[in-house]
Amino acid sequence: MKSKLGNHVIAGEGRPPWYRSDGQNCDCYIVGIAGGSASGKTSVAQRIIKNLNVPWVVLLSMDSFYKDLTAEEVEIAHRNDWDFDSPNSYDYDLLLETVTKLKEGKQVDVPIYDFETHKRVPNKVNTVYGANVIIFEGIFGLYDKKVLEMMDLKVFVDTDVDICLARRIKRDVAERGFDVTGVLKLYQRFVKPSYDNYVYPTKKNADVVIPRGLENLVAIDLLTKHIQRQLQERKMQSRWDMARICPPHELPSNVVVLEETKQIKGLHTIIRDIETSRHDFIFYADRLATLVIERALNELPYEPKEVETPTKKTVHGLGLKAKIAGVSILRAGGTMENGLRRVIRDAVIGKILIQTDPNNGEPQLHYCKLPPTIREANTYIFLMDAVVGTGAAGLMAIRVLLDHAVPEDRIVFLSFLAAPQGLHTISRAFPKVRIVTSYVDPVLNPDTLYLEPGLGNFGDRYFGTEHE
Amino acid sequence: MAYQPPKQVIVLPQTQQLKACTTIIRDNNTQRADFIFYSDRIIRILVEEGLNHLPVVEKTVVTPTGKEFHGIDFQGRICGVSIMRAGESMEQGLRDVCRSVRIGKILIQRDEETALPKLYYAKFPPDIASRFCLLLDPMLATGGSAIKAIETLIDYGVAEERILFLNLISCPEGIAAVVAKFPAMKIVTAEIDAGLDEKLYINPGLGDFGCRYFGTDK
Repeated sequence: MKSKLGNHVIAGEGRPPWYRSDGQNCDCYIVGIAGGSASGKTSVAQRIIKNLNVPWVVLLSMDSFYKDLTAEEVEIAHRNDWDFDSPNSYDYDLLLETVTKLKEGKQVDVPIYDFETHKRVPNKVNTVYGANVIIFEGIFGLYDKKVLEMMDLKVFVDTDVDICLARRIKRDVAERGFDVTGVLKLYQRFVKPSYDNYVYPTKKNADVVIPRGLENLVAIDLLTKHIQRQLQERKMQSRWDMARICPPHELPSNVVVLEETKQIKGLHTIIRDIETSRHDFIFYADRLATLVIERALNELPYEPKEVETPTKKTVHGLGLKAKIAGVSILRAGGTMENGLRRVIRDAVIGKILIQTDPNNGEPQLHYCKLPPTIREANTYIFLMDAVVGTGAAGLMAIRVLLDHAVPEDRIVFLSFLAAPQGLHTISRAFPKVRIVTSYVDPVLNPDTLYLEPGLGNFGDRYFGTEHE
Repeated sequence: MAYQPPKQVIVLPQTQQLKACTTIIRDNNTQRADFIFYSDRIIRILVEEGLNHLPVVEKTVVTPTGKEFHGIDFQGRICGVSIMRAGESMEQGLRDVCRSVRIGKILIQRDEETALPKLYYAKFPPDIASRFCLLLDPMLATGGSAIKAIETLIDYGVAEERILFLNLISCPEGIAAVVAKFPAMKIVTAEIDAGLDEKLYINPGLGDFGCRYFGTDK
């Protein structure tokens, strides 16, 4: 991992694009790991994650998908008479739904199972989003046919059954307060028959069998390298390639450019001027942002509204038939928040941090915090960025919103300045997203990725982080 | 659309979101905080539009990428003049757009004896004659106090064509009265209502703007 001090985030930590240049998701890579109880599945999974050394990996445990038990069944379970090792103990429908969504790159809510009550914890879930690799482990990890079809790599951990039993006794006595007789009773009654009848036969479904589990460093190393190679093959176009796209002359129909009035041109003259002080830059940028937001509001639906004035007259007016949530693409998109709040005082604001990897020009997702209201009916998202160059960051941010179940036609993408390349790239991928910008510059320099004449680095000038 | 305003009048583009804002400030049930917020929003748009009608010169600047941008620069200095008290409610919106703009004040009240508007107080920047004046009054009803205010500005040496009268809600009667007297001046307005009622209030209007903005209504 390379790290660069100064203005850049640590390279290699962000999530590289998980979608193609047309904006559609690539499937995420799913590894299924099965094996007997206490065979070391979790340890193998954790070691693979550690070796991969990328942050966008999710470990999904089959334990999350235990079925809720009825009151009667809970009592049986408390007497240690319930067979948790039966393949019927799991909710395969929910599991399939979850794995399918994750594979498509969508955000999912994974249930949390409470082993005291033997029920899913109500109103609480683990929200999982943004995995390039999912490692799914459980004794029946390779059992269900439909779930198997979702997997890119199927692994069976084949540890000697005596070792598994020894580990299980040690673990249950030390951590779960059982005595040895109790452990053996359960083992003979449920664990062993289930392993022999259901778990062990799934070994034939595996692509790879790992004998000895965690101790088998060579096998784990081979698996890690294989996964890394698969991830490498999914790279999309770099920003430099995107900048070289020769866009059509006409702007796409879903793009709105603010009318070039004198004050729009006057404001642009000030913020583009290299001599403009930061004090002035911020002031005029805020003014321009307000105008962009006002214009974007006109893209939303309104409905007739009748009100009465203090003089008892009736007015047939209009009311906004939408709620608005802002989402800024950090860092520079945050500069539009002042403008947003001037127009919509209490707008909720989500943040997505996307940075360019200086080594390969790829956008990388580093952070994403979105308000829960984004999915509500009638909520429109004002996605804000300062300057749209290649469109790479916008494409990634829109993909994030879609993955969080925001309908495409409820996204309005706002910017101060845009290049034709970026506008075309975004509207080709997402034709229902509306784009509002205050100015379009003719040139996107393919080497510096700056627009020309442009205005330099918007974020640096607004936040004062440019070099003197 | 029956009424066509004279060419001196610039009506803001009648967008849906502008209509939604005026609906809120017209509504008798609107709380004062909302009244102020949405009024300020409209006023900012009014001021931005007003600035569009000031003269400009071409100006080329160099951007941080080393390239030239062929832009414009506003020529001449401006000042605000608010007709007290309601016009002062537009000062915040003006300052949101023109940070440290100088603001003159005029107090005009109805003379109890003659029932005509009478000038009580005027305080302007000393060099007002050389500035473009943005005259602020949220409502243009009969135009009586506006005419008095414009006369005062002209007395102080401001050229008629350098005055821009900004208001939120106007009506054909007020527009006609002001334009007849000062044909060289421009009016920027957000909405034009049907007319005046028997009490000479704008119909439908929004009540007393100053009282609602400053919270002095009952």
